[in-house]
Amino acid sequence: MKHGKRGPAFWFLAAFFTLFVLFLYGPTLTILVLSFQGPEGTLTFPMRGLSLHWFFNLFQTQLVGDIAGALKRSLVLGVVVMIVTMIVSFSAGLAFRNRFRGSTILFYLAIASLIVPSILISLGIGLLFRVLEIDPAWYSSAFGAHLTWTLPFGLLIMLAVFNRFDRRYEEAARDLGATPWQTIRHVVIPIVLPSLIGVGLFGFTLSYDEFARSLYTSGTFNTLPLEIYGMTTNITTPVLYALGTVTTAVSFLVIAIALISFSIIRRRRERHGSDAGKAA
Amino acid sequence: MMTRTSRWTTYFQVTPLALVFLIFLVIPIATIVVVSFFDYTTTSIIPAFLSQNYEELLLSPVTWQTYLQTVEFALITWVLTFLIGFTLAYFLAFHVRSATWQQVLFLVCTIPFWTSNVIRMISWIPFLGRNGLANMTLMKMGLIQQPLEFLLYSNFSVVLVYVHLYTLFMVVPIFNSMMRIDRSLLEASLDAGATSWQTLTNVILPLCKPGIAIGSIFVVTIVMGDFVTVRMMSGGLSASVALMMANAMSLLQYPAAAANAVVLLIVVLLIVAGMMRVVDIRKEL
Amino acid sequence: MAKLNGGIGRRKMLKGAGIAAGAVLGSTVGAPTIWAQNNKNIVLRQFGTGVSAINEIAEKAKKDLGFTIQMTALDSDACVQRAVTQPNSYDIADIEYWMIKKIWPAKVLQPFDVKKLTYFDKIVPIFTTGKLKPDSVIAQGTAPSKVGFVDKPDSTAFASGQTGWFTMVPTIYNADTLGIRPDLVGREISQWKDILDPKFKGKTSILNIPSIGIMDAAMICESAGVMKYGDKGNMTKAEIDKTIAFLIETKKSGQFRAFWKTFDESVNLMTSGEVVIQSMWSPAVAAVRSKGVACKYQPLKEGYRSWGDGLAIAKHLSGSQLSAAYDYINWYLSGWCGGFLNRQGYYSAVLDTAKANMSEDEWGFWMEGKPAKGDIKSPQGAVMEKAGAVRDGGSFYERMGAVSCWNAVMDEDRYMVQKWNSFIAA
Repeated sequence: MKHGKRGPAFWFLAAFFTLFVLFLYGPTLTILVLSFQGPEGTLTFPMRGLSLHWFFNLFQTQLVGDIAGALKRSLVLGVVVMIVTMIVSFSAGLAFRNRFRGSTILFYLAIASLIVPSILISLGIGLLFRVLEIDPAWYSSAFGAHLTWTLPFGLLIMLAVFNRFDRRYEEAARDLGATPWQTIRHVVIPIVLPSLIGVGLFGFTLSYDEFARSLYTSGTFNTLPLEIYGMTTNITTPVLYALGTVTTAVSFLVIAIALISFSIIRRRRERHGSDAGKAA
Repeated sequence: MMTRTSRWTTYFQVTPLALVFLIFLVIPIATIVVVSFFDYTTTSIIPAFLSQNYEELLLSPVTWQTYLQTVEFALITWVLTFLIGFTLAYFLAFHVRSATWQQVLFLVCTIPFWTSNVIRMISWIPFLGRNGLANMTLMKMGLIQQPLEFLLYSNFSVVLVYVHLYTLFMVVPIFNSMMRIDRSLLEASLDAGATSWQTLTNVILPLCKPGIAIGSIFVVTIVMGDFVTVRMMSGGLSASVALMMANAMSLLQYPAAAANAVVLLIVVLLIVAGMMRVVDIRKEL
Repeated sequence: MAKLNGGIGRRKMLKGAGIAAGAVLGSTVGAPTIWAQNNKNIVLRQFGTGVSAINEIAEKAKKDLGFTIQMTALDSDACVQRAVTQPNSYDIADIEYWMIKKIWPAKVLQPFDVKKLTYFDKIVPIFTTGKLKPDSVIAQGTAPSKVGFVDKPDSTAFASGQTGWFTMVPTIYNADTLGIRPDLVGREISQWKDILDPKFKGKTSILNIPSIGIMDAAMICESAGVMKYGDKGNMTKAEIDKTIAFLIETKKSGQFRAFWKTFDESVNLMTSGEVVIQSMWSPAVAAVRSKGVACKYQPLKEGYRSWGDGLAIAKHLSGSQLSAAYDYINWYLSGWCGGFLNRQGYYSAVLDTAKANMSEDEWGFWMEGKPAKGDIKSPQGAVMEKAGAVRDGGSFYERMGAVSCWNAVMDEDRYMVQKWNSFIAA
């Protein structure tokens, strides 16, 4: 299978893969095309005119809704969730290297947090705040709701990383007289940094696009996915598609930036001859 | 172990995580359970201990139909995402030879995942509608005379979007499992006279079980708890359990929604417990 | 809480007649100087349905009054939810009359003192006495006059007649019927039951908002002779059961293409051709037409199902914020908004002031049922109707006079909502 000429199986699978990619991108292309309609455009085919009208329109005041505010809230929330997820899962990952009472329960809580449907968590937090008569808000209840989604992923990744972590590096540092904090700061963190960045990016994405967990927890002001959902019921023009096109473009941009910075870090490490990354 | 780091440090390190789960997972779920026994009027919830919410829920045939419908959605989606996901992962893991190409193709599959789900969902509507691209094309090609109505606002469109959104959740863990398979096992199998197909079913498939289980857990739990896709792609005609809950919530019938949530939680946990028997997640890390 | 921080703003120069009118309003409220100085820092948070949470109104209010109105658009059910469960998250609730029947008992709103409402005496009598003309009969359902007043500010029960405490100031209202695509229905539509015609199988839609949908359903059931109601606006459990059973049967037979929850969804269903006949709201019909798609708001033999929207104020409002809210609401009725809304096919609560803000032709077309002399344009400037067109259903008095029922919250509301949910889930 591994060597020799490519058989019919390969071509069949390659064709299948191509079809899947088409399936994956097809609809996105539909709205990409439709977003370039003229001012009289509607939500469906046929195309009515060709212009950038709806992209300009997107940045003007809409009849209803507040995209800019929602975007700002989602970005702030995503970044804070990202940072907290990195710190908390790193710290918990360190702890899980030791056996401690309750570790099994905590581990299964993390699993439970992943498998309990998001809407239940949203409902539960919403109800809790209502019973306690606290107003839910995107920076309190929704923040917590997002953490229950990002932390289990963060924890599982950190557990996997530390399972493969060679503790002799730490012992060496300690033998050289490093304090525990110095060991973590100068030995452990550099080694796990790429994974930690991965956890952070993952956390940001999960939070940025989270819908169900925000639904009953975001309070007065909407996060971006809620606002987009609201718009789907309140907008009758291709401005919605323009928004789709722009968000897709932004996602591509973020991915490109992430990939480029990863490769820069890797190259810099190679140049400095550091072996830190290789242990991870 | 404990000699290296003090016990207190360990507890200190794990406290933030434990607190988040306590405040935002354990207590909220407990709240749902408590509220599910409350009474309610049009605008208020009244602390009480009633089984009325459960009676109203479980004695209604609509509840059972809805659960059945939701499980059906989950099952169909699971079968499709598994078949598609396994094939894709198999192609990537065993047929794409260079690691660079593997990464590139893998990335191609993951990029759409970064766009808002809601946007990806609605982008199907102009494609599938009565005057949509699909119908227009088929009619122009002379394959159909009348537009196909089942394409949009139907169970078909719901499942289509599920497969579209969630196949990736299958591909990733199965691909991971496949990459861990020792290639010499495959060569041994082929050398022993097995066909490629036999190798696939007798060697690769069993070794991928953990990946399949993890992927399945994700897909099934997401579909069981979904309401946005059902709401948007069925045009409000179909229902899912979560949609029933969301409807009750929007009409301020919190205790009714809570009772439904408890039942849904039990169903999902039972399904997942069944799947967990195939895989020990801690061992997979 | 709204933002009240920051120093005292500079006295704002009043420019133009509109603003001068605003100043007059300010003085009638009795706080002219504070009004002029502090209002720049006042923010009033308002939520409502997409029907009236329109940013253009907020912008105009900012220009005329100086303070900021933050608008949030929600679907109807979410409005009730927000009003009841997050009473501190808003200052002004832009809600429908059936909603206030649900929300008022939750004690999250305060009534208006009619003495502080400049245009109270000019409000269309539907909202005060309940009778459009002195000899009119009040229609079934939650008619605005039935939930418009309370005896005392802290009373949770509605007053039976007019008092000095107004629960809500009406802003817009309309008479709803079925919208059709005249180019696609291919037959005469004259009754509510025509939506059941097997010819339209898979091409119809009704709305999924229980308090409104049940009334459309009742109009359809009555028209089709499926049943007779004692009082459509207050059904018995048996009547609810039978209505819902009929709806489920219709749904199972594939008559409906989709259900909609916000009026824009109905616009999309109609423009894309998914649906050719459906429950619709008047501005949605206008929106479909402005996209160049034929759409008619068909008057029907059995009459209209009506709704009314108004502004209510949150209980926590006091001091300068409260007087700003009064200013805003008096401004709302002072004409510009009325003209703006009338031009979209709604009706404004005070007719005289709106008339002053519309051209004679516009007034004739929208309100008097006269053929348009020139093109009729939307507030955004798009041509909605060509010269010579006549409004579907005719004049204001013809349309509002033929109201058969109002959107309703019934005594058996909890039961009805449960049953409605089972219809949606079935």
